[in-house]
Amino acid sequence: MFEILNKQIVTQDIKRIDIYAPDIAKKVEPGQFVRVSPEEGDEHIPLSVVDWDRKKGTISFIFQEIGQTTGKLGSLPINEPIFSVLGPLGFASKIEKKGTVVCIATGIGTAQILPICRAYQKSGNKVIGIIGAKTKKNLLLEAQMRIACNKVFIATQDGTYERKGLATDVLKDLVHKKEVDFVYAIGSIEMMKEVCRLTQDNNIPTRVQLKPIMVDCLGMCGSCRVKVDNKIVFACVEGPEFDGHKVDFDDFIRRMKGFEESVPCPHKTQFNQQKKESGPLMRFLSGILSD
Amino acid sequence: MKERGCPLGILIPGFIRFLREGHLQQSYLEISERNCFPAICGRICSAPCEKACILAKDGNPIAIRALERFSSDFGKTRSKKEPKNRNGKKVAIAGAGPAGLTAAWQLALKGYQVTVFESMDKPGGVLRYGVPEFRLPKRILDGEINDIKALGVEIRTNFLVGKTAAIEDLLKEGYQAVLLATGAGITKFMELPGANLTGVYYGEEFLMRVNLMKMNIFSQNIPAFPIGKKIAVVGSGNTALDCARAAVRLNREVTLIFRRTQEEMRVRQEDCEYGKEEGVKLEPLTRPVEVLSDAQNRVGGLKCIRMDYADVSGDGTWDLLPVPDSEFVLDVDTVILAIGHRPNSLIAKSESKLMLNDNETVYVDPVTRMTPIPGVFAAGNVVTNAGPLVSAMASGIKAAQNIDNYLKS
Repeated sequence: MFEILNKQIVTQDIKRIDIYAPDIAKKVEPGQFVRVSPEEGDEHIPLSVVDWDRKKGTISFIFQEIGQTTGKLGSLPINEPIFSVLGPLGFASKIEKKGTVVCIATGIGTAQILPICRAYQKSGNKVIGIIGAKTKKNLLLEAQMRIACNKVFIATQDGTYERKGLATDVLKDLVHKKEVDFVYAIGSIEMMKEVCRLTQDNNIPTRVQLKPIMVDCLGMCGSCRVKVDNKIVFACVEGPEFDGHKVDFDDFIRRMKGFEESVPCPHKTQFNQQKKESGPLMRFLSGILSD
Repeated sequence: MKERGCPLGILIPGFIRFLREGHLQQSYLEISERNCFPAICGRICSAPCEKACILAKDGNPIAIRALERFSSDFGKTRSKKEPKNRNGKKVAIAGAGPAGLTAAWQLALKGYQVTVFESMDKPGGVLRYGVPEFRLPKRILDGEINDIKALGVEIRTNFLVGKTAAIEDLLKEGYQAVLLATGAGITKFMELPGANLTGVYYGEEFLMRVNLMKMNIFSQNIPAFPIGKKIAVVGSGNTALDCARAAVRLNREVTLIFRRTQEEMRVRQEDCEYGKEEGVKLEPLTRPVEVLSDAQNRVGGLKCIRMDYADVSGDGTWDLLPVPDSEFVLDVDTVILAIGHRPNSLIAKSESKLMLNDNETVYVDPVTRMTPIPGVFAAGNVVTNAGPLVSAMASGIKAAQNIDNYLKS
């Protein structure tokens, strides 16, 4: 039913899959996600919809192979169907005209922020994109971001490409120049926490996207509970977008750390940055792709 | 007298008479006249009929549930009930749970073309993700659902009404009526300090992981979530008992904590005794106070307090109150909270015309069971709030009747 139409290796262990899902493609809006289960009896994982084509009826997502389920999904060949895809889930982002909007993302968050950047630009904002990555090799979707944003800053931790440092350092400079009206952040929890601390001091409204561990993504299991505004809410049905200044990040970090430390966890989206040892073919391919 | 005990209206003396006379198939047909899930109800029904039985006064009612199970397991035969002439009208049902499937069964028999939309990847609703294998084998569930499919009911999985398509879209697509049967599966959060620590799960999550992802000890899939050796389950309903019994099967040490006494638990005493036999330790008259954390922010123990009945005011009303200075710490490393559910009326967030009652159930007209949107009905636990299986099924039958009346007029 949900046939894989195209598959692409973006970098080392990050893959892009296009699938045929006309019902979802008709409805999906920026900021929404789908629930994917590659084979019968597998875990259901939430994946952001990165791109869609309403005419062709396709949706695409980009994900990192960090566990059992994402690994299985990445190993499915073209023309093979995915067992279950449900969506679009969550609320669409509220895209309004704000002025200068900074979209800041690290890691796989770059893929998730791309539709948001496009939507903000379309509604007449000046969009500044900030991408953070460990090294040049881990940087993804640079070209697409450059098209979707009016200006893009890139920061690599080891200084192999453009600016050396963290993505939040770039934001700090921009905030000091007082030319930011709105900030949108997706990425590691530490980064989002730092962004919210920065913007709270300067009274800049900030929205973040949270993707905790989810089981059914329908508001039933309670696994994705996060503390927002001192109230416990479901990230799956009330999010995934929240007012960054109201999210209790310390509580969120504590919850996620626990999952990370437990060894046999197949799905640790965003949180485990450890690289898998990849084979020679993959290294070869990623070498070509990153240049 | 006894037929009145069943919300579905099964002629209980009738089917027992057939059984007594040795007509197994006749007895099965008698039950399936009013119940589309005899094998399921024979296993997990809360059996209000046994409470209504005239022998219940002596404490030994007729085991109607067991008889139903026997009759459906050994006397199963193709029901003579065939759909009437198709009338060409299409009905959409949101939710393939007990209420939705029962309504689909009734509507299909009345000649409607029914499509059931289900958000999970397989139909069954709570019967699949909630009730564990040892109480209701998935094989039985599949069999019963296939019988409904055989009547011409189409089940579309991976389709969330309200998100994948709005109710209006369905009405535009040619469905003349929509029935919302989304159930009551939303987790009720507990105001307990430390409930956000790692190692604290809600009952739904635990059961879902065990049921859906084959994460039991016999499968090749390793348990994909951190679960300790000693588990405390909080709650006194069926969910809590199911969690406890499922955890025992994962070879864990389980303590079931609840505020009231064992007799007041909202489960069948029979199931409770099974649990005890399997090794679930019961801690009645105990209330959790706080989940203690260890150095890594995991569960390090559960602080509890004893409860007891006391007549404080002296006017003869016995209240359940905490016993002073009776706090103690249970040595556990995982806590499962199973304290109840809320109605799944999330669809109202995307459909502004739907109205909700104060307790989050969907508002329906008491007579026609229609929501403020014409042609949209609601049934099951999303209307009645969390309740037993049979009441949801009975609600589905009534809704089917209402839809029939609406579409005929």
